[in-house]
Amino acid sequence: MSADGLDIVDDLNRLMAEEAEACLRYFHMRFRLREEEYALAARFFEDAVNETLEHAASIAEQIRSLGHVPTLRINLSLGGGPVRLEAALGEALEVEQQALDAYKDLLPRVAGDPVLEPFIRRQVEVETEHVDEIRDFVKTNGVVKLLPREA
Amino acid sequence: MDTWKEFEANELTHSGAHHLLAIHEVGAMYGGWARVSDIARLLNITRGSVSINLRTLKKRGWVETDEHRLVRLSPKGRKVVHAVMAKRVIVKTFLCEVLGVPEPQAEIDSCKIEHLISHSTGERLVQFLQFLTSGAPVSRQLLKQFRAFHAVCPESRTCEVCNGQCLIDELKHAI
Repeated sequence: MSADGLDIVDDLNRLMAEEAEACLRYFHMRFRLREEEYALAARFFEDAVNETLEHAASIAEQIRSLGHVPTLRINLSLGGGPVRLEAALGEALEVEQQALDAYKDLLPRVAGDPVLEPFIRRQVEVETEHVDEIRDFVKTNGVVKLLPREA
Repeated sequence: MDTWKEFEANELTHSGAHHLLAIHEVGAMYGGWARVSDIARLLNITRGSVSINLRTLKKRGWVETDEHRLVRLSPKGRKVVHAVMAKRVIVKTFLCEVLGVPEPQAEIDSCKIEHLISHSTGERLVQFLQFLTSGAPVSRQLLKQFRAFHAVCPESRTCEVCNGQCLIDELKHAI
């Protein structure tokens, strides 16, 4: 495989780590919410756990189809103690936005690849939807002041 | 005996110090601004982690972000970085030049404590290094004698330094 091909595998490994780490954050986050807010947002975080895990798995499949074994590097230690929903959703937005940026950065580098380009393009769409979903959730429940949407 | 709690109370965590140093390093190539992706790559962690950690540094007033999510050190953050870098050099110099610790180990150890020692301890270490390298006969003699000195423990395994328990034994048996 060319050097650029190996770089792309590295990038895919990093993307998989983003998704897997986000999954663990969401898994942990919902249990830190207080009772009322837990009831409001537990389902939201549960869906996010499933979605990020699915994304991590689909990236792992792409790495395997390129003839490599996925490498997962995560360095995560999540503190205990209750958290307000406002802070939890703020964190979720940060994480999703970073994942979206990572997919967008990779897109031009896989341009022309019959498998990877449509895959990454689809992930950009899905992540964009997810960022919007979080924003909508926040808006509906009126829990956090949002930063202006990027132009 | 509550000194250990000082470690927890330290405003600048080890992770925080490395994030600030990474912003400084990446930013040096781009007019002070750094991308989250480059910081993540340098620290070998995810963008998500960097982004979350930056929130704390931003709250402390050490970093600033722009509308494109680029990051740079604030004037206050630059002072923190310079202080950390200075302490790293001071500690490493002390470990290498005075204690004779091999450079790779001195690099690791200085990295671990650079953000933990107080400014006043850092200053005193610099003064001590200045004294030792001043060229004065007494400091030359002191350094020469220390380098030639090999600790020999008494039969009792206690001495004035260890005061009841042999510290060298403790270190040897440490995990």
